[in-house]
Amino acid sequence: MKRLLSRLSAISSLLLLVAGAYASSRPRYGGVVHVLLHDRVMSIDPLIEDDHPAARDRMAALAFETLTAIDSEGRVQPKLASSWRSDQLKRSWQFRLRLVSFFDGTVLTAADVAASLAKSNPAWKYSAPDRQTVVIDTPTPVQHMPEMLALMRYSIIKRQTDSSGTAILLGTGPYKLSQWQAGDRAQFTVNDDYWGGRAFPDSIEFQMGMSLREQLLDRQLGPNSAAEIGIDQIRALEQTNQYVALSKPSDLLAVAFLQGDSPSRTGRSPVDARVREALSLTINRTAINNVLLQRRGTPASGLLPQWLTGYEFMFPATTDLQRARDIRTDAAAYVVIKPIMLAYDSADPLLKLVAERIAVDAREAGIVVQPYAEPHVNSKAARASINADAVLLRLPMQSVDPSIALASRADDLGLSDSVPAVLAASRPEDLFEDERKLLENHRVIPVAHLPQALWLNNTVHNWQQLATGAWQLDQLWVEGAH
Amino acid sequence: MSLKTKLLLLVTISITASVGAAAWLIETRAHEAFRQIEEERTATLVSQFRREFEHEGDEITRGVETIAGSDQMLRTTSELANGAEYANYVNEAATYATTQRLDFLDLIAPDGTIISSAHWPARFGYKQRWFLDRPGPLPEHAFLRHVETPQGSVLAMLCLRPVHIHDLNFYLIGGRKLDAVLQALSPPEGLRVSIYSAPEQGPGELLGPANEDLSSSKVMALIQRVLDQHNESSTIVDLGPGLPQEEILHALPLPGYSDRVPAVLLVGNSLERELMLEKRIRNISLVIAGVAVFIGVIVSGIVTARVSRPIRNLAQAVGEIGQGNWDVKIETSGKDEIGKLAVAFNQMTEELIGQRERLVQTERVAAWRELARRLAHELKNPLFPLQITVENLLRARENTPEEFDEIFRESTSTLLAEIANLKTIIGRFSDFSKMPAPQIQAVDLNEMVRSVTQLFQVQLNREPARILTELQLGDVPQVSGDPVLLRRVVENLVLNAIDAMPKGGTLTFRTFMNEKFAVFELADTGAGLTPEECGRLFTPYYTTKQHGTGLGLAIVQSVISDHHGKISVTSKKDQGTTFHIELPICSSANTMTGETTV
Repeated sequence: MKRLLSRLSAISSLLLLVAGAYASSRPRYGGVVHVLLHDRVMSIDPLIEDDHPAARDRMAALAFETLTAIDSEGRVQPKLASSWRSDQLKRSWQFRLRLVSFFDGTVLTAADVAASLAKSNPAWKYSAPDRQTVVIDTPTPVQHMPEMLALMRYSIIKRQTDSSGTAILLGTGPYKLSQWQAGDRAQFTVNDDYWGGRAFPDSIEFQMGMSLREQLLDRQLGPNSAAEIGIDQIRALEQTNQYVALSKPSDLLAVAFLQGDSPSRTGRSPVDARVREALSLTINRTAINNVLLQRRGTPASGLLPQWLTGYEFMFPATTDLQRARDIRTDAAAYVVIKPIMLAYDSADPLLKLVAERIAVDAREAGIVVQPYAEPHVNSKAARASINADAVLLRLPMQSVDPSIALASRADDLGLSDSVPAVLAASRPEDLFEDERKLLENHRVIPVAHLPQALWLNNTVHNWQQLATGAWQLDQLWVEGAH
Repeated sequence: MSLKTKLLLLVTISITASVGAAAWLIETRAHEAFRQIEEERTATLVSQFRREFEHEGDEITRGVETIAGSDQMLRTTSELANGAEYANYVNEAATYATTQRLDFLDLIAPDGTIISSAHWPARFGYKQRWFLDRPGPLPEHAFLRHVETPQGSVLAMLCLRPVHIHDLNFYLIGGRKLDAVLQALSPPEGLRVSIYSAPEQGPGELLGPANEDLSSSKVMALIQRVLDQHNESSTIVDLGPGLPQEEILHALPLPGYSDRVPAVLLVGNSLERELMLEKRIRNISLVIAGVAVFIGVIVSGIVTARVSRPIRNLAQAVGEIGQGNWDVKIETSGKDEIGKLAVAFNQMTEELIGQRERLVQTERVAAWRELARRLAHELKNPLFPLQITVENLLRARENTPEEFDEIFRESTSTLLAEIANLKTIIGRFSDFSKMPAPQIQAVDLNEMVRSVTQLFQVQLNREPARILTELQLGDVPQVSGDPVLLRRVVENLVLNAIDAMPKGGTLTFRTFMNEKFAVFELADTGAGLTPEECGRLFTPYYTTKQHGTGLGLAIVQSVISDHHGKISVTSKKDQGTTFHIELPICSSANTMTGETTV
């Protein structure tokens, strides 16, 4: 009997342990997720050009949804649209809508979708054959319309104004924007009526504009759930067994030469193409990747990474100082080579290091590059107002679809003329050719592809970071919630 | 120029020269003293700089050695030696540099590859082999060298230390900007310190406060001289228009890692205060000199007046004596040379007066003797015929009455003639003693000469001793004189000349102007006179003629003297004698006065 009792006691203890373990890994409702963002977002509206669109889109994705979505495997998934189809020319696309309600309780209709998309892309034509069907007609073929509509700029938003004239953006997402302090703080509370089911956390709070060092200190001291971190901090965090989520090397680090006249660039002539080519040949991308990027990225020779296209290796990216010197000497016979003013985002210390390294490398070929910090360089509007010859940019990847990603990057780099051709490309060879054309005049010098890094508290579960660096927080939950 | 003026001028020049020399000496000495002070100030500052330099070097050395000896660095180098990736340590140097307050720090691999750079993180992977390629041991102390930074070449004080691990040498090169040494200096007022940084490539740069004005070509030339010769040098630079903007600039070479001079220490010492003081001293010296000269002139004027007064009195006395005033006396005061001279002068005048009186007495006696001799001679000549005649009369009483009567008539006739002769002689003496005062009026000298010539024409033309007359009458104004007396003078001279030319000759009359006198000259071609005769010619009763009274020329001299004129004679033996008479010119002003005063 005594032996039986001891066995029962052991079994019951084991059951309790198993039950406890199960309880700790089981999603729970409630709790507040605190996220520290490096960048300051001034508006959550995806259609307003922001200096930090990636951070903006991460927050916007909580409240606004697109017709389609890209899953962690890079596949297109239904979102607000339950199904879709197109004609053979890929110029007319029909989307069937899901039965969804906006935050104000009104049902999402095809007219709402058409009105929202018309603001995103006025060049297309929209029609609503019925309440739940939207038809999009494009002037040129769009091979990857569902992938494109997964971009946050095509979010379905009902735009209203209150009595005071303030714009109200209504979405259908799992969270509602409850507090907004532009550039400083944002709070999203859970949408209990979300069509996909209520999210686990009660709210998600974003603290914006934290420097990486401040974030590190705050993370160690405060009750934060996640924080964006720099690549140079990964090693130290990993050495202390902290969890760091890394995306694929999706962001593009590139030198973009500014073209054309603007009020701020009066009197500055564009940098000669030969000098641009010489500069490209001086950059030691391997050293930058190995040392400054701590081998977390990859040297870039194309606008899109090798893992996405498979053809990036075909673009040359070797360092050839002798040839660079020859080209520079050749150029000096025709033009006066002035120092190249290279601007970089003053809030990103990594860009500062890379810019200085580019200057060091260029110096070996007799090209003077003068890096300097600018507070706003990421948006096209901001770049139009700075007095620099070139800008060192970190461009996020918008989509895992190569065509969409390349078109987005071309658009971000101010090469909008190439976008229609890229969107029309149906074969990888066409896309390669489009990218080659984008690179051939060296107006953009790819330097590296680098990942996005995110520190996660061990109390946070199911935080999914996609290959592009975007977050998927459908199943997110936090420990300690009631 | 009077003696007083000469003395005053001499004393003034002496005082001015003395004061000027003293002022120059003071200014020179002050200048030298200021320069010495300036050199001492500069030397003090240079010494302070060297102390700060060494102190900073010690601190840098200590900091780098601390890093090199730290456990963390040993661990890092150990990991690197064991094959750890350099990339993992790219930010190491910045951390170390911060802890030791270093501006520069490079962690360098054994082959010279930069593993980590605090001041230029982006320079990782590049080689830095300047210390590896240098022969000899690594320097133990801090040294100057230019460091490449993103902003360009920067002058720094560096320390190099190896970190030996697993038979490999990693290197640490750390340092600070030299500006820190400059900032640590506290130069006194008027001094400033700058450093000229001379990188191996590119233009140089001036470090330190207010260095814009140090970029002049003169300063650059000084710097280049120091860089070339490795020796300190100095120059005076003008910092701007107008005084006091000058500065003496000392340039000292600062030794570097190699033989090349990487920098030059510039110590500027403002001459503003010195120049102001020198200017003040100069002004004071000038004022003192001016006052001294003024006082000196006043005092010397008084002194020279006192000194020269006895001499002036002496000169006046001598002048008065020269004019015949023998009674002058000089006041004797003091026992100095001037006083002794005055006493001697008074004694001399007294002696001269005594001698003159004795001479006069002697001459008077001689004159009386001569007069007596003359009288005796003159009177003896008529007396002898009288005696003979009277003796003839006495003897004639023994003759017949007729013979007696005839002898008596002849004797009485002779007696009367001789008595008349005696009267004449007595009359002449009487005339000489009763020379009348001249009646001064305007006299035409030429006309008078012509008249006298006309009067004597018959006598002169008498054969066989014919005398030719020659008139050389110039344009002379009327003279002031008594025409009767002057005519007697001329007649007397003409008679003497006729007597001097018994065999005939030429008598020349000349009139001309000599300064303020009208001159009359009468020259004969007679036998001439000896100098002794010339000297005694105007002495009364002296004559060279057989029957002369010796009063003619004496009367002539007396007349001329009464006319305030002069008479002199020149003669050459066997060539003739010339009388030279100067007479005052007649003027309406002095005609009457001359008349009345004579």
